Amino acid sequence: CSDELNLTNPNEPTTDTFWQTQEDAVKGVTAIYAALLNDGTYMRMIPALTDGRGDDFKADTPWPDLWQVAAFNIPATSGPVAWVWDGHYIIIYRANQVLQYVPEMDVEPELKERLLGQAYFLRGLAYFNLAINFYEVPLVLEPQEPSEYNVPTASEEDLWAQIHSDFQEAQSRLPVSYNDVTGPDQGQIGRATVGAATGMLGKSYLYRERWSEAATEFEKLIDGGPYAVYELMEDFRHNFDVDHENNAESLFEVQFGSIEQVGGSVANYGGEPNGNWQQRSSIAFTYSPEGYEDFLVTDWIYQAFQQEMTVEGEFDRRLQPTIMSREYDETVYGHEWNYPGDIYPRKYTNEGLPQPELREDSGINYRVLRFSDILLMYAETQNELGNQAVAAQYIQRVRDRAGLPDRVAEFSAFSQQEMRDQLAHERALEFAIEAIRIHDIIRWGWFDDPAKVEELRQRDSEFDSWAPGKQYLPIPQDELDVNPNLEPNPANN
Amino acid sequence: QQVTGVVTDESNDETLPGVNIIVKGTMTGTTTDVNGQYELNAPSLNDTLIFSYIGFQTVEVPIDGRQEIDVQLSPVSLMGEDIVVVGYGTQQRRELTGSISSIDGDDMKSYSTSDPADLIQGRVPGVQVNSDGQPGAAPNIRIRGVGTFGNNSPLFVIDGVPVGTSIRDFNPNDITSIEILKDASAAAIYGSRAANGVVLITTQQGTTDTPLQVEYSGYFGIDEVWQRMPVTGREDYQMLVNEGLRNAGMPLVAGNDPNSPLYIDDINTDWQEEGLKTGQRMNHNLTFYGGGENTTYNLSLDYLDSEGTLVGHGPDYERYSTRLNTTAEKGIFKFGQSFYYTYTNEKALNYNTSELTGGRPPMIVDLVSAIPTLGLYDPSVEGGCAGTDQTIHRAIVLNVPCTNQLLEGETNVSRTFASAYGEVDIIDDNQQTLTYKISGSYDRTNVRNVNWVPEFVQGFFFSNAAADLNDGENTYYTGVVENTLTYDREFEGNHDVTLLVGHTYQRGGGIFRNGYAEGFPKPYFKVLDNGNTKTSSGSENANALESYFTRLNYNYDDRYLLTATLRRDGSSRFPEDNRYGNFPSASVGWNLHNEDFFSLPSFINQLKVRASYGQLGNQSIGEYQYIGTINTSIPYNWNGSKVFGATQTQVVNTEIQWETKTTANIGIDARFLKNMFDLTAEYYSSTTSDILVAVPIPNTTGAFDPPTVNAGELRNSGLELALSYNKMQGDFTFDISANFSTLKNEVLALGGNDEPIYGVGTKTEVGGEIGRHFGHKVEGIFQSQEEIDNHAFQNNGTAPGDLKFKDVNEDGVINADDRTYLGSGLPKYTYGLNFTGQYKQFDFTVFASGMGGHKINSRIYRYLMLTSDYLNYHEDMLDRWTPENRDTNIPRRVVNDPNNNGRDSDREGWLQNGTFLRINTVAVGYSLPQSVREMVGVKNTRVYFQVQNLYSFQHYKGYNPDFTAGTFEPGYDNGSYPKPRSFMVGLEIGF
Repeated sequence: CSDELNLTNPNEPTTDTFWQTQEDAVKGVTAIYAALLNDGTYMRMIPALTDGRGDDFKADTPWPDLWQVAAFNIPATSGPVAWVWDGHYIIIYRANQVLQYVPEMDVEPELKERLLGQAYFLRGLAYFNLAINFYEVPLVLEPQEPSEYNVPTASEEDLWAQIHSDFQEAQSRLPVSYNDVTGPDQGQIGRATVGAATGMLGKSYLYRERWSEAATEFEKLIDGGPYAVYELMEDFRHNFDVDHENNAESLFEVQFGSIEQVGGSVANYGGEPNGNWQQRSSIAFTYSPEGYEDFLVTDWIYQAFQQEMTVEGEFDRRLQPTIMSREYDETVYGHEWNYPGDIYPRKYTNEGLPQPELREDSGINYRVLRFSDILLMYAETQNELGNQAVAAQYIQRVRDRAGLPDRVAEFSAFSQQEMRDQLAHERALEFAIEAIRIHDIIRWGWFDDPAKVEELRQRDSEFDSWAPGKQYLPIPQDELDVNPNLEPNPANN
Repeated sequence: QQVTGVVTDESNDETLPGVNIIVKGTMTGTTTDVNGQYELNAPSLNDTLIFSYIGFQTVEVPIDGRQEIDVQLSPVSLMGEDIVVVGYGTQQRRELTGSISSIDGDDMKSYSTSDPADLIQGRVPGVQVNSDGQPGAAPNIRIRGVGTFGNNSPLFVIDGVPVGTSIRDFNPNDITSIEILKDASAAAIYGSRAANGVVLITTQQGTTDTPLQVEYSGYFGIDEVWQRMPVTGREDYQMLVNEGLRNAGMPLVAGNDPNSPLYIDDINTDWQEEGLKTGQRMNHNLTFYGGGENTTYNLSLDYLDSEGTLVGHGPDYERYSTRLNTTAEKGIFKFGQSFYYTYTNEKALNYNTSELTGGRPPMIVDLVSAIPTLGLYDPSVEGGCAGTDQTIHRAIVLNVPCTNQLLEGETNVSRTFASAYGEVDIIDDNQQTLTYKISGSYDRTNVRNVNWVPEFVQGFFFSNAAADLNDGENTYYTGVVENTLTYDREFEGNHDVTLLVGHTYQRGGGIFRNGYAEGFPKPYFKVLDNGNTKTSSGSENANALESYFTRLNYNYDDRYLLTATLRRDGSSRFPEDNRYGNFPSASVGWNLHNEDFFSLPSFINQLKVRASYGQLGNQSIGEYQYIGTINTSIPYNWNGSKVFGATQTQVVNTEIQWETKTTANIGIDARFLKNMFDLTAEYYSSTTSDILVAVPIPNTTGAFDPPTVNAGELRNSGLELALSYNKMQGDFTFDISANFSTLKNEVLALGGNDEPIYGVGTKTEVGGEIGRHFGHKVEGIFQSQEEIDNHAFQNNGTAPGDLKFKDVNEDGVINADDRTYLGSGLPKYTYGLNFTGQYKQFDFTVFASGMGGHKINSRIYRYLMLTSDYLNYHEDMLDRWTPENRDTNIPRRVVNDPNNNGRDSDREGWLQNGTFLRINTVAVGYSLPQSVREMVGVKNTRVYFQVQNLYSFQHYKGYNPDFTAGTFEPGYDNGSYPKPRSFMVGLEIGF
């Protein structure tokens, strides 16, 4: 009576019955996005472990992993580092399932293209983050059989080729906006667009110093290009608050929601998702002096903001949205300045916003790619291609929003190196505490230049314990232990 | 009518003084005098006399009109006479061929515990029981080592009924005996679930022709945690933290900086003093039993309360239980019934992990590592618990005593375990019997888990803004229906054959529901309805097992013995093609002392050799693991509106099948020197193949839980010895028993490509044993920069005072490739010693057990010795390296630990000798003499004083060397709760 032993799982559909309907395809793509909300991705560790390494940010935390990352001596056994690794491969696994099953499924053709495009985009984003943080990682491009689990490390070339390919595939399938599409995704703002794919494709070329290819992509997004629908927000702070999410400056952002906004009772750190998961960001509480205060801004970045005043003779308009200071903040969070220190990060915290700083419960969307980055990256390509005058214009466009004086003429006369230095300064101010800085420093080759390393050490003493290769996160030891085909990276020593 | 006589010892014909004699069914009785003679007045010469004496078999002798009756009593431990409970029946010990160890109920009762499984500890060779010290702690039991990578707990069978979930709910006072089936032959009849061994528990039954007997037993005791971790006080703590910061070139933390206005000089909290309290335990048991001509009954009522030793809401454990066992027979029919109900309330040691930020270690680790510069209470904050400040203390400290009063968690278990059987003797004549038996049982456990967290603020790290409540109920059930036919026939020429055939079907499962509410207005009413937002969750699962089995017992003239068993099992946990497994076994025995052609030396009274070989199956994994599933509840939002995604989140192996354990066992049983010595020696070797285990896979798969696969092969072998000596004559009688066992474990395969499996500071690799400690070898401490420069590169920040690690692969760099094996985490031997003696009205018990030959990786010690952190320190840290104190093996203090001195290594204290001996029980009892008892009108009455866990001889600098641990890190003590020393007074009285 074998039937007595044939018990079916009453809790969930099985893989045999899923991946059939159009609804399944849509849900499969949503699940990829959901992986952006975990501790190892944008909920905390991608921002925290990236910002911590920058010269604009330093650790002030009892949590060893955070200061060890910030001081470039994190052991490969670190939990948070492993979460970053794991979190991104979860994105990849979910994207791979969509890319494997959806092409064969009966889905309305245009919708199918959009769904596949989003899967490519998110996989490309995951590999982009892995490549810039871990240097070299394995490429997994489809759901694996047990015999395929021990994937070898891919070469840097193959890895970046895949990133470019994924963003190209995404670019060819995604719409400019979801307001104009017909289908179940109509009006669902927050999905990846062709603008997001184009911007990331350009950025991934830029990281490989393929300047003209990068420029070509950026041009599609600016000044009459086919996807030129973006503009800078007048108020810089609107890029880091809840009330102006998915705004005109935003090419792609991760959709966080506070408990009040989207509910949930189980913290979304990681593990097996369930319907009661929250969708909150920990970044505000991690950075804020009202929270864990795990990091402080460096004096250097505070000073850098004050090198140049606005045309009205005031502070750079980005300073206050980025840093809270005893110098100009009479009240913070509605009370008098009562912190022992003088400066603290404000960007991505809830200070000054309508909602209070609740424990690890911020709904502020994480802006992955902003239009100002497109403008400054385009300027960088033009400088590298020898068009300093063009570069100067785009730099100034970002400066204008900050209220800084027009120096187009002066910049146009810069040498290529002078322009690089200026760009480094402009990018430091524009993107302080946005999980970008250390990657700029790495790709500009500053770690190969003893003078630059010394400069970094002057700005942030955490660079004192940096050793070659330690600018990356180490490949997690657990992963090296279990997969003999995986290579350690320079940060593992 | 007067009856007289002499009572003698059958084994040596000496007279026995002090033997109890009562007239059956009455209160009339007497005892033998110093010469073994007795005299009593029986109401009638048709009565029956009952002769009972400690250490001897009780006999009933009908007076049958006689006036002089001489009786011989035989020692109970005489091998040939013991009745041993085996699977689906009983056997006489002399007929046994498999490996079965028995524990008598009286022995076990000298240890007070909430969990019957604890009673096995140290009693029999080859069984290792590890348990933590909190009330209600569930022990780990391993019979003959770690046989599998997954669930290693044996199958518990109570009165023939397999127990579905925890054994903890059962009342130890109900138990009359425990048998442990260790080899394949003995356990084979339970095939599918028996691979980890079987523990058969027999509960008390009434006796026929006995008027109502009433017995009370109870005790009251206090529990003290007598061990203390020596930690630093305020001044040393501040000095050490400051030194670490200075060495790192960092500014001092305000509270520890004498130049800061926030400097703390008026707080010096001893957290162990504040957090640990005197616990108490009590137990009351009332048993009513008796029976008529054809019926028996036994009713017990029991109350156990064990209040833990930690300040606050728990850990506590309380249990109410009742059991009713009855039997009746008439002619060829017989039936029996057992009904057990229990209600328990446990306040566990664990917080609900979601309630406190950043997954906490066990509470005892948090308690011991708390800093002395923090006080307990702060009335100015919500909840009133003082907490650390980022600026003043920087340390992340959980205020355990206060938090444990603030948060409330409890588990209520309501369990019904009911079984019944009916039997009919289809054939019953002089040569043969054929018996059909049907039995059914139902085990249902309702578990309510409640966790309450009020609003509170505790420093910068811990707080809860909205009070929340989890209130969940889980139901577990197991139903079993069994049919057996037993045919027994004695053929001419002393051939005795018993054949059993049977079928069993078992269905089990669980239903899980939880309600969650948060945002409670004050004053708090802690029910779900009062929360502002509420969510619910739930799931269920089921499993089924169907088995056919047969067993043949053959006995020729009590000389040659054979048992052969075959079982075929089907499990719902495997895919259809792999569903069934066949598990055969056979064993033989030879009673040499019954051979005529062969004469044993005269000092040997009995000698049996036996051998067995067989296979057992294991399927103790979760449900539905061979089918991939889609998680359909993966939330995201589009600009604030919540949506659900769905995808496969875990990978599965679709080919899983039965795990099989093959065991060979040889043994001898002997009695010698006038039956005073009793020896059992056994050697076994078992190999488990197709082990069901979740082998870690790379996280590049995107699946974070490894799938269960059939991976690997393990071999365990060992020697087991049990020896006892009984002195039964004279005023002073005693019984000494000792057991000793060794264990050797070897991993033969790990499945797939045989990739090693890493645990917490361990590595398991083919050719080695499971869970060996793994890490760096320490070569000393760097004394100078020159020494650092001449050594393999460790880290940019390495400085004098840091540990020097061995460059094992000699590549000039110290990294993960330099890790190597650092010792065993598995005890190589375990042993137990028991002494029970009696002098006139006094009795004494001493029971000790221990294990050794392994090393312990102690989380609690390492926490207190961290180079880098802001937490409190073990006093050993005072001997750290400083430029003035170079002759030490404890590295310097430096916040940030650039050299990673904290990594897994063999540095002093990181791995500690695990050998220990624990004095589990010391007890003295006094029984009222006969004359007084008669005067007062009571039967056996005993008062006793008992000390439990009196002392433990150990090298280990943690609390508890026999902690419970994970399979792949058997030597890792994650923070076991200390075992208290208990002082108890007890009373046993019968009416």
